[in-house]
Amino acid sequence: MMRSKAVRRFLSHPLAVVGLLVLLLLLMMALLGPVMVPYSPEKTDFDALQRPPSQKHLFGTDELGRDVLARVIFGARISLTAGLVSVFVALVFGGAIGLVAGYYGGNFDRVLMRLMDAMLAFPFLVLAIALAAVLGPSLQNTMLAIAVVTLPIFARIVRGQVLTEKTREYVQAARAVGAKDWSILIRHLVPNIAGPLIVQTSLSTANAILAEATLSFLGLGVQPPTPSWGSMLNAARGYLAYAPWMSLFPGVAIFLAVFAFNLIGDGLRDAFDPRLNR
Amino acid sequence: MKKLVLLISLIAGLALAKTTITVGLDADPPNLDPVFSNALVDRQVQNQLYDKLVDLGSDLKIIPMLAQSWIVEESGTVYVFKLRQGVKFHDGTEFDANAVKFNLERSMTAEGSRRKGELSLVKEVKVVDKYTVQVTLKSAFAPFLAVLSDRSGMMVSPTAAQKYGKDFGNNPVGTGPFKFVERKRQDKIVLAANESYWQRGLPKVDELIYRPFPDDDVRLANLLSGAATVISPVAPKDLNSVRSNPDLNLFTFPGLGHQGVWLNVTKGAFANPVLRRAFAATINRETIDRVVFLGTALPSNGPFAPGSLGYDPKIAVPKQDISLAKKLLADAGKPGGFSFTLLTAPGPVLTQLAQVYQAMAAEAGIQIKIEQVEFGTLLDKTDKKDYEAALLGWSGRSDPDGNIYDFMRCGGPLNSSGYCNAKVDQLLNRARTIRLAEARAAIYSEALKIIQSDLPYIYVYHPQITIGASKRLAALPLVPDGILRFKSVEVK
Repeated sequence: MMRSKAVRRFLSHPLAVVGLLVLLLLLMMALLGPVMVPYSPEKTDFDALQRPPSQKHLFGTDELGRDVLARVIFGARISLTAGLVSVFVALVFGGAIGLVAGYYGGNFDRVLMRLMDAMLAFPFLVLAIALAAVLGPSLQNTMLAIAVVTLPIFARIVRGQVLTEKTREYVQAARAVGAKDWSILIRHLVPNIAGPLIVQTSLSTANAILAEATLSFLGLGVQPPTPSWGSMLNAARGYLAYAPWMSLFPGVAIFLAVFAFNLIGDGLRDAFDPRLNR
Repeated sequence: MKKLVLLISLIAGLALAKTTITVGLDADPPNLDPVFSNALVDRQVQNQLYDKLVDLGSDLKIIPMLAQSWIVEESGTVYVFKLRQGVKFHDGTEFDANAVKFNLERSMTAEGSRRKGELSLVKEVKVVDKYTVQVTLKSAFAPFLAVLSDRSGMMVSPTAAQKYGKDFGNNPVGTGPFKFVERKRQDKIVLAANESYWQRGLPKVDELIYRPFPDDDVRLANLLSGAATVISPVAPKDLNSVRSNPDLNLFTFPGLGHQGVWLNVTKGAFANPVLRRAFAATINRETIDRVVFLGTALPSNGPFAPGSLGYDPKIAVPKQDISLAKKLLADAGKPGGFSFTLLTAPGPVLTQLAQVYQAMAAEAGIQIKIEQVEFGTLLDKTDKKDYEAALLGWSGRSDPDGNIYDFMRCGGPLNSSGYCNAKVDQLLNRARTIRLAEARAAIYSEALKIIQSDLPYIYVYHPQITIGASKRLAALPLVPDGILRFKSVEVK
């Protein structure tokens, strides 16, 4: 009942619907794009360097004669994968830490949360760059670095929610009928704190996509010739005056993806807001 | 009345305005002490601070500097230098034969000296009289004067060197046209004109400021905005925009260096010479020049740049030959190709270059995995032979020995491949002792033929020196070593 109300409220939020549509478009591009574009994103053509957009190459070609459209489309796979996977990992591990810390409390809670505070004390990107530099440049390591720096955010949110929820009657009732701790945590607590988590997941995904682009821009992400929006921007940066299409299209793609997740996040926040529930 | 005073002081101010040249470099010089310096960019600043015993002319001939003349004995082992008189260091002490002896011995014996290798054949430095020095070598060493035209020949003040010790690099004192004022790491190095320079009327500008701009685009932007008077290098992609700018001059000319690919012969796929040849056959040097360097690099197949001794125009530059590569792969039992990791330092040009190699090798079925590592890590890995292939070149020296000896001899300090061939060693050692240019060149050609067939290194191109400068800058000498010599430069 409450679910369908949330869905209805989300759908009545026009900007959130726009965000959802843009996201669906990007997802479709990532899934079906390679079928629609006749070029491989890694195929070089040394006789067609930095051609401006034309009918043959809708987004033009880059410094090695590769089709920018094909690379933007393939880059969507990398960027969306990086964003979603890293946030999923952060959600699972951060969520687990928050659950047990909030539920059991005591010294256990204190140690874990001070650890999370220590991680949050570092600026998000600085820590991500440091981790990626130590782990070595690759897509997996980039996702790992982003997951690690995102994790404390989830741990804090979940812990806070658990602290208020665990005193509620339904938890006490479950305990009274002899439910085990893990069953209370997973079956009862998680569904009841899902709202803020979903909102945070969406917002964090936007951040993660931006972080992946930043790390790739700095050469710490995917290794060439695999395209990612960030690494495309990095290569294009020097040609801003001579071949602006090389940076325009990956830049627009990053903008759209981050914008979409932020709009969706906003819409979800309103949809789950209990104060609007009455 | 007040207005008049203002006007006069304004005019006087204009007449007395300091002329400053701001130089944009691609890195911050790590160490200005010639004995401990091992970075190319150090030499840009050092050459203004220190005079050398001899200098290099635009035609790569050795010309007098602090040594006015010299005599080499027939055996090639004894050099007698007559020194310029009345030259003073920036700290007021006098330059004489004792200073030369001090400097050469400091380079040869100081702990951690980077000059020990090039001076290893020096047996004795003797002060004959106040302005005459005799250097005796253990055996004939043809590159000796060329060595003295670089950091080994830079004369620092013995008083200052003793006073500052290891910290001399932060308090450099020489006899050069400019003296040290201050430096802020990663920001700027400020030099001021040496008013008592021994060449009358020089230098012609008051101040020289060096600023590091590692990013190509930032360096260019500083030149375009006038914040830098001159920059070097100019990235290939920006050559046209400098060339077409009415306020700027672009200078490009062949340097002394070479670039290419190191192959580790001690382990992995490239321990097999056939696979080394197969990869080399996929390389299209013309394409690299056209795509990455926009026609400003010189495709080559050797370590010696045109114009330097040892350059042999008869040595052919191989063409790309994919069918040969495939045949060699089949011979090596890898008809489907193989894969290897190519190490490269970061940076847009190197990234582009690595991907061009990758695309060319793929045509023969050879898969290249690119790994970008920080430059220090790259040097460390190649030193330890912990790699398969690496993009790494050499800035070049004026004497051919400096471009090949330490790289290709067994156990040479810059031999990143682990390559060892007794015949090559013998030829390279022999070439050092011969003074006759033609005979030396012939020996280098012979050694190079062996190296080209063994392929521990694939020579691919000679980079050009690229300088972008304001048109206000006049009389900048263009020397193939790429060092900007500012002593006679004027600002209009």
